[in-house]
Amino acid sequence: MRKLIPILLFALAIAMAASAQLKAPDAEQFVGPPEGLPVTGDQLDQREHEIASMLRCPVCQGLSIADSPAEMAINMKGQVRELLSRGYTQEQILSYFEHSYGQFVLLKPKFRGVNSLVWTLPILALIAGALLVIVKLNKLQDDVAPPAAKDEDEYIARVRDLVNK
Amino acid sequence: MNRTVLIVGFIMTAALVGVLYFALGKDPQAIDSPLVGHAAPDFTLKAVGTGQSLNLAQYRGKPVVLNFWATWCRPCWEEHPVLTETSQAMGDRVQFVGVVFQDDERKITDFLQQRGWAYPTLVDDRGKTAIAYGVGGVPETFFLNKNGTIVAKYTGPMSGDILQEYIQKAMR
Repeated sequence: MRKLIPILLFALAIAMAASAQLKAPDAEQFVGPPEGLPVTGDQLDQREHEIASMLRCPVCQGLSIADSPAEMAINMKGQVRELLSRGYTQEQILSYFEHSYGQFVLLKPKFRGVNSLVWTLPILALIAGALLVIVKLNKLQDDVAPPAAKDEDEYIARVRDLVNK
Repeated sequence: MNRTVLIVGFIMTAALVGVLYFALGKDPQAIDSPLVGHAAPDFTLKAVGTGQSLNLAQYRGKPVVLNFWATWCRPCWEEHPVLTETSQAMGDRVQFVGVVFQDDERKITDFLQQRGWAYPTLVDDRGKTAIAYGVGGVPETFFLNKNGTIVAKYTGPMSGDILQEYIQKAMR
């Protein structure tokens, strides 16, 4: 047994050295170093849930990663948690995911480019609708006013003028 | 007035039909990758079988076909022979790299031993590399040129012709 210990330690050292070299792409490559303070404890759970609710699960139908049981969503949530604990801000975390997946991953589209139409078109449609109603009402009022009949009796026309005065 | 209403109605209907045409004609899983045209995120992952760590940057100087797949993914089974045969045919001119996504190393080894093993296959622990590449499902394949820039992404299983077409893009 004693002879085995050095061999096991050597194997462990090799395994540790190999795993230490492994490196997945890091958020720092894309959004720079953390700009906030590390989040811990209960606040970490709360912030993780808040940010996860803003990110779309890419393998689901309209679910956030906070609501999805998919392994992909669980991995993404894990990454949100890790980034928060390292001091990354909400904006940096959302930017990191946007960098990889595009705006598709954001459940609330940004006011930018074609997406701005989502916000502006309903307002423009309301204004256009209100203008249409005003124009229509004005036209109706004009139509209600009695037209001066061409073949109206001269006497009646004079009476009408006097009454209107 | 009737004419105005007709024109406004026509414009609104045309806009709605246009939006529906573009939105419904697209596969929601086939997301255009914002990484195309940018440097491929670098990584060092463990190779299945050898256990050695492999760095993506070591393949700079030749085009790379980076395929995300998994043993539980049926379309990946169909694609596997296409990838292995093309990799063998291309030899040293193009480097193929497989990244296995949400899977078990033993299952990967069994799969490769049964179905052919032509290029390095790496294990993506907790899917971090897949997330950095914006992978939404498997198979997804990224094509890198010799400078390490992503020139194209293909979602879904590839036929031999499609694979060749995309390799040509990466070789330009």
